[in-house]
Amino acid sequence: MSAATKLHKTSWCALRQLQQYRTNANFSASIAKRNDLFNQEQRRQRDAVGRIDKIEVRYLGLPEDVTLVMNSNISTPFNCAQHLSEGHCKRSALALVDGSVPWDMHRPLQESCTLQLLNFHVSEPHVVNKAFWRTCSFMLGAALNRAFKPEANLQLHSFPGPNIKSGSFVHDIVLQTQTWQPSKEEMRAISAEMVKLSAQDLRIERLDVQQDLAQEMFKDSKYKSEQLPSIAQQTNGRVTLYRIGDHIDISRGPMVGSTGFLGKCTISAAYNVAAEGPAGAFYRIQGVALPSGFQLNHVAFGILEERSKKPSPARLPNEPFEEQQQLQLS
Amino acid sequence: MMRSVIHQLLGLRLSGGCGVTLTQVRDKGHLSRPRLRNPQWFLRKEVTRYDDHLTTENKQFVNELGGVNFGVPAIKKDVQENLIKTKDAATNEVTWTPGLRRCGLIARKIGQYPLWLKNGERIRTTLLQIADNHVIKYIPPEEYLPAQPPKVHNLKKRGCILVGSESTNPALLTKEYTGIFRDSGVGPKKNLARFIVSPEAELVPGTPLNVNHFGVGDFVDVRGKTVDHGFQGVVKRHGFKGMPASHGVTKTHRRAGNIGGGGEKGRVWPGTKMPGHMGNRWRIIKGLRVWRINTKYNVMWVQGSSVPGPTGGLVYIYDTILPLRKNKEAPPFPTFFGELQQTSDDVWYEKVHDFKNGSITYENE
Repeated sequence: MSAATKLHKTSWCALRQLQQYRTNANFSASIAKRNDLFNQEQRRQRDAVGRIDKIEVRYLGLPEDVTLVMNSNISTPFNCAQHLSEGHCKRSALALVDGSVPWDMHRPLQESCTLQLLNFHVSEPHVVNKAFWRTCSFMLGAALNRAFKPEANLQLHSFPGPNIKSGSFVHDIVLQTQTWQPSKEEMRAISAEMVKLSAQDLRIERLDVQQDLAQEMFKDSKYKSEQLPSIAQQTNGRVTLYRIGDHIDISRGPMVGSTGFLGKCTISAAYNVAAEGPAGAFYRIQGVALPSGFQLNHVAFGILEERSKKPSPARLPNEPFEEQQQLQLS
Repeated sequence: MMRSVIHQLLGLRLSGGCGVTLTQVRDKGHLSRPRLRNPQWFLRKEVTRYDDHLTTENKQFVNELGGVNFGVPAIKKDVQENLIKTKDAATNEVTWTPGLRRCGLIARKIGQYPLWLKNGERIRTTLLQIADNHVIKYIPPEEYLPAQPPKVHNLKKRGCILVGSESTNPALLTKEYTGIFRDSGVGPKKNLARFIVSPEAELVPGTPLNVNHFGVGDFVDVRGKTVDHGFQGVVKRHGFKGMPASHGVTKTHRRAGNIGGGGEKGRVWPGTKMPGHMGNRWRIIKGLRVWRINTKYNVMWVQGSSVPGPTGGLVYIYDTILPLRKNKEAPPFPTFFGELQQTSDDVWYEKVHDFKNGSITYENE
C-alpha cells in the first residue's frame, strides 16, 4: 500500500473509532486503552515489514485462474479480490489458501500460494459456514456489550467453538444477578443490536499479538486474563485478537470478512447455567442466523428459531478448561 | 459512440427517401392517484413470492412441522366427550330470545340449480358452500372499538366475532397476518369477516362453523360484491328504454335522451342517471329462504338467483333482519354443536320435493 493510502486509512480508522466512542453508551476507559494498544500494535506490525517482498498468488476460481503479484505481509485476499471485481469483494466471505487453510479476508498473505475465494453459495460450504457461525458468536458479544445497561455489570466470558448442528451459536456471559429472566422485548432488543451491527457493515480486523500485550489489553477483564495463559500455551505464545468497531475479543478464527454478511438473525434464548460468586451467575445466550442474501419464509425460520432455543451441548463456561475438547470443537 | 452510429444510420435512412415513422405512444401522461388509502392498522396479507432454494427434503420437512394441514375442509359432525376443561361458552347452550343476534358464516357461491316444490312449482335456487369456517376471535363489547364501524343497531352493547374461512399455507402469508390466528388454535385462513353479535352469542376461538348453523326454512340475508360490469351505458345500467333502431332515428339508439328541464333550476340535477361504472359494489339481498341443506359438503340452497357476485365469489350470510321473516323458534344458539338427527346428508324443507322420492303426481279432478 502506498504511504498516502496508509495515512488516509489510519486517520479514517481513528475518526470512525472516535465516532463510535461518542455514540457508544458503554464507553469506558479500559475499552479505549484496549483499542489504543490494538491500533499501536497494528501500526507497529505494518512498519515492521520493512522491505516489501513480492509473492505470486495463484487465484483459482471464476471467472478464470489468474496469477497475481502481491506484496508479502501486506496484501490480503481482499486486495486480490479487488484485482478481480467488485462482485468478488462484496461476495467473498472467506479465503482458502493452498486449498485447505481457511484464511481471513483481511489477513495479510505471507508466501506464494494458491487462493480460492469462498462465498456462501459454493458447493462445499462447510468451512465458510463454520466461520460464519463463529462470527455470529463474536458479534453477539459486541451486541451484548451495547445492549446491557451499566447496572447489569456485564462481563463477557467466552464463546465455544462453532457447532452448526446444535442449531444455535452461543456466547457465555457473567451478570451481577442470579435472577435475570429475559423478556421478549429484551431478546428482541439484542437481536436488533445484531442487525444494527450488520447494517453498519463493519470490517472484522485480525491481529496476532504476543501474550504479554494481550494480558496488558485485557487486564481489566477478569475472565479473559484467566483464559489467556492457556490459550497462548496452545499457539506458541501468540494470541489471535479480532475487532469489530471498538469491541475486541480473543478467538482462534477465522472469521468472515465483515459484519455485513449477517442476514436474518434472532437471539432466541438466555439460560442461567451456573452461579458465579455471591451475587452473580453465568448466562448462556443462544441465537440463530442466516447469511445475507438467503431468503426464507417465516414458517421455516420459525422452526430454526424453535430449534435454537434448545440448550446447546457446548462446553459450559464454569466447567474446567480441557485442552483436548477445545481443540476438537474449534 | 453508439449514439453517433445510430444517428448516422437514421441519417442514411432519411437521405434514402423512405420517410421516418415515429410511433407515438399516447398515454394519459401521468400516474394515477391511489384511490384506496388503507388505515394504519391494515396488515399486508400475502408475502411476495420468491424461491426459497430449499431442497425437496427440507420442503417436506417444513410442511410436516410448520405448515398446518390445509386442503379438504374439516367438517365437524359428531360431538366428542370433553375431557379437558374448556370455557363455558362452548358447552352451555344459552337460551335464545328473539332480540339476540348471533354469528354468521362465510360462504362461496358455487352455482345455481332449480328445485321443485311439492305442488309442482319450479323455483330457482343458488348454492352456497360454507368452506372450512372457524371462529378466530371474540371481542367483547367493552373492548370492541372499530375504526370503521358497521351500520348495526346498538353497536355499543354488541361484541364482534371474527370468522375465517379456507385454510392456506402459512408460508405464503406474512408473519403479521398469521399472528392473527396464533391464539385461535387453527391455521391461517384466506378470508376473514367480522360478525356483530350479542354477548350471549359468544363463541370460543377455534369453534368450527357448519351449515347446520342455519336450518331449512329459515330466512337469511346474503351480502356480496356484485358482478363488475365495468363502464356501462344507461340502457344496461339504469334500464332506460333507448330509442328505435330505425324509422329515421339519427345516431341515437341507446342514449339517455333528455337529462333535465329548464326554468329557474335549469341545470342537471345531482344524481341524474348517466353512464358510468356498474357493479363491484357491496349489496345485501334480504330475506332469502333456505330450501335445502347438505351436511356432507356444507352446502345450502337459497331462494332465487339474485345472490350478488359471480360464481366462485365470496358471500357473507346473516340471519335475516326482515321482521316478518325472523326466527320465531330458537335456532342453534350460539351455533350448532350437536350430532345430526337424520341419517342422510340432505335436509329438505317440508315444502320441497325430495329427488329421491317418486315423481309428483296429480290426481284426476
